[in-house]
Amino acid sequence: MAIKTPYSPPKTAVKLLSLICKRSLFEEIEGDLYEYYQAEREEKSKLKSDLNYWYHMLNFLRPFALKKFGQNSNAIIMYRSYLKFAWRGMLRQKLQTSFHLLGLIVAFSICGFIYLHLKFERSFDSFFDNSEDIYRVAWMSDNPQTRTPHPMAQALVNDFPEVIDAVSLSPIYGPGLTKTTIPLKNEKKNIAFNEPNGYFVDSTFFDVFSFKVIAGNADKALREPYAIILSQSTAERYFGNEEAVGQRLSFSGMTDMLEVAAVIEDAPVNTHFHYNFLISYVTLKSLQFNDPWMSWDDFGHFNYLKLAHNTDAKQFEAKIPDWASKYLDWTQENLTALKNGDLKFELQPLEDIHLHSNIRWELENNGSASYLLIYGLSALFILLISIINFVNLNTAKAAQRLKEVGVKKTLGAYKSQVFSQFTFEALLTTFLALGLSFLAMFLFENSFNQLVNGHIDVSDLFQADLIVFLISVSVITAFLSAIYPSLYLNSFEAGQILKGLKLSKLGGANIRNGLLTVQLIAAIVMISGSIVIKNQITFLKEKDLGFKQDNLLVVDIDGWDPNTLLIKNKMLKNSSISEIAAVSNIPGGQFNQHPLYLENNPSTTIDASEMFVDDDVAAVLALKLAAGRMLNKAFSADSAGTSFVLNQSAIEALNVQNPIGKTLVWVDNENLVKGVIVGVVEDFHYRSLHEPIRPMIMAMQPNNLNYALIKVSPNDLSKTIAQIETDYKELFPDSEFHYQFLDDEIASLYQEESRTLTLVTLLSGISILLACGGLFGIISIVIRQRVKEISIRKIMGASAAQILWLMNLKYLLIAGLAILVAVPLSIFFMKDWLGNFTYQIGISPVAYIITAVGVIVLIGLTISMISMKTVKSNPAKALRAE
Amino acid sequence: MKGTQLGEFEELVLLVVGVLFPEAYGLSIREEIINQTKRSVAIGAVHSALSRLEEKGFLQSDLAEGTHERGGRRKRIFSITASGKRALEKNHEMRNSLFNQIPEMALKTIKLSGY
Repeated sequence: MAIKTPYSPPKTAVKLLSLICKRSLFEEIEGDLYEYYQAEREEKSKLKSDLNYWYHMLNFLRPFALKKFGQNSNAIIMYRSYLKFAWRGMLRQKLQTSFHLLGLIVAFSICGFIYLHLKFERSFDSFFDNSEDIYRVAWMSDNPQTRTPHPMAQALVNDFPEVIDAVSLSPIYGPGLTKTTIPLKNEKKNIAFNEPNGYFVDSTFFDVFSFKVIAGNADKALREPYAIILSQSTAERYFGNEEAVGQRLSFSGMTDMLEVAAVIEDAPVNTHFHYNFLISYVTLKSLQFNDPWMSWDDFGHFNYLKLAHNTDAKQFEAKIPDWASKYLDWTQENLTALKNGDLKFELQPLEDIHLHSNIRWELENNGSASYLLIYGLSALFILLISIINFVNLNTAKAAQRLKEVGVKKTLGAYKSQVFSQFTFEALLTTFLALGLSFLAMFLFENSFNQLVNGHIDVSDLFQADLIVFLISVSVITAFLSAIYPSLYLNSFEAGQILKGLKLSKLGGANIRNGLLTVQLIAAIVMISGSIVIKNQITFLKEKDLGFKQDNLLVVDIDGWDPNTLLIKNKMLKNSSISEIAAVSNIPGGQFNQHPLYLENNPSTTIDASEMFVDDDVAAVLALKLAAGRMLNKAFSADSAGTSFVLNQSAIEALNVQNPIGKTLVWVDNENLVKGVIVGVVEDFHYRSLHEPIRPMIMAMQPNNLNYALIKVSPNDLSKTIAQIETDYKELFPDSEFHYQFLDDEIASLYQEESRTLTLVTLLSGISILLACGGLFGIISIVIRQRVKEISIRKIMGASAAQILWLMNLKYLLIAGLAILVAVPLSIFFMKDWLGNFTYQIGISPVAYIITAVGVIVLIGLTISMISMKTVKSNPAKALRAE
Repeated sequence: MKGTQLGEFEELVLLVVGVLFPEAYGLSIREEIINQTKRSVAIGAVHSALSRLEEKGFLQSDLAEGTHERGGRRKRIFSITASGKRALEKNHEMRNSLFNQIPEMALKTIKLSGY
């Protein structure tokens, strides 16, 4: 019988066993395991046998089998003495130790925070099943938007095998396409709310978005008319602890119209849209809702596709123009534009929407990748500065430990042992800092969340990738800071050291100065960057928007049309209210748009945002008239909606001289509204300053007014608001009173900028403090080495100023070099960032001059402060001390 | 006397060493225990018990020659010492005597209570 080749057990396990197992037992134990393994392999798979081998091997981790690491083992004694040395060293230099720790704690905590924040921001919509295969169809024109035609979703599923599922949905919009609230009511319990975040959705909603159903049959709910799906928290508000499924809700005054068919989980924070309730398109269609809104002509719906796994989205996108031409009833000109890419249906990956999509009709305010980049870079810069501090100070300290190393070597220490001692000490500090930084993060978690409007949870930190990252940073930092001192100190003969070798110079100056330059570069980039950001934001806040936004109260007036006059007259009796206007959309909000053209020139068709107004809008917003007159309901054409006021951009786009009196055709879906231009207003920024001013048309449509803009006197505001609420409640007893201030609303457009500014200012402040602290530490060590030199210079007649200059010169040169490198770098970054804004303040050289002067002064002060003590002291004393 | 008490598992291992004489070593003892008692035992547990028993002086061991199926590694063959034999006998006698002291009635009740 031939002898079979034996199977060899998992090598790592054997190796591990040999490391931990007692010598005397190893052979028999390994033998038993080996024999066992051979038998296992005869019967079972390799994997199973390997796992079994590991199981039994780990089972030997019992006291009887383990090597003894007793009190008397060499390693233990050695490390105990290292620990003692490290501890005493830390206590001896309390200031330095606390600076080391503080710097590392700050850097680690900031990195941890920003990492979690970035991770959260990048996690948007990734929790859906197959989220990487889901795309939103966006419409890319010169004013791109998220909305596309409703029939598109199902047509794509029908015509393309690679489209597995698709859903069309739309928020429930009010008139003028502002997001609106719907009055829902539980009649039995008399619980009513004006419910926001309602959506119409296709029956395929759950095929694309894998939200969890908590109760009821969600699929059925979307196929049957008059069914409503509630989010869990919404259901609780209307029905408390009762079973919601099967109960009825009144919809907008229609008693008990809807049956609650299902309850689904609340959408998590990290998704790009949040719903309170869903109603099927089926319900809408059963209401004989024969609206052009459902046609291919209306780009009014959000369409999401789920593609087959591994479909190339770009390739698929390229097939859309030809395909869509079949369905779109368009002019040849537009179809050509679609085919050559001037107009385009684009597939936006679902996971990218939150950070990379910022076009018209986003469902919610999205984040911005460019800010995350700033956050991430700032955190890395601070980490870099802090690590350099640690390494630099440790190398600078090396000379102080010459004697200690000399004695150790005389007593027989190897070079490697000197290194391991230094590493051990450094590791102790970095790991202590790491531990404390976790503590700090738990303490400051809330403050950070408030600062960046974040949703981080520090306990999420305990995940493998981050822990590995932070531990590697700690270990690498410790190694770097230990290499130089031990190499340097090992380079001397022990005997020489003990005989009284004097180090004339502190070694490693070049490395240290190089690292110092890197630090300063990082700090300067951050400081100058934050000044540029500050300038830009101040610019945005102070820029004249072309209308007055102060002291304007915005009150929701759902369908108050017949009462407009009534409420106006009632409120105007209040002496603190000077003017009231009713509008469909407020500046800073979303605006619907439709095409329009001059009757005598149909070839120049432009898209214009629309705003429905009443007589008083110009007065309340202080809009300036460029030509003609504002709308006035005294003119019958005006109140019929056939007089138009355009803004200057629209006039320019239409390319028309003397527009007043010209006839305009306004394509409101299938209706062509013909009317006359009666006035032109000067351009005003009705959207955020991220966008240019686009054409706008104003008309009177009393049914489409959503907001009252109320000009109030700034005195005694709370009383005025209370009075407005009373008046409002009297006229609309069933509606909730909801108000906001226009300037707050507009400021919220720049929230992200304000937050970035706060954070970046804070971080750049920390960075320069850390850099100066590091410099302080190094200089105080350097100067101790040069006490004699300074004393001799003094005796020879050098003035204090000369000596200070001498001390400063080198570091000022370093600062100069850092400025030379940092400024172009910063300009490069900031140019890129400013590119996000249509209206930019530009990069002012003042920002850089301030930074440069500031940094140089700060460095000069730091150095002079430390030097002063030595310069002032009696030189004889220093020279006599030997 | 501390250290001379036999644990339940130790006793089992000691008995099996006797049963397998003269071929008792770690792996064969484990297999025998599994076969006879149907309980699952880790190799480490057997070795741990063997080393305790040897410390207490109930077992002695010798290294035998390595075999092919062990990849040439030697195995440690265990056998019961005189004191090991005494300890087993003592345990056995104690059990028998305790068992015999149980009155008939008690055993009956136990049976009855099984219904």
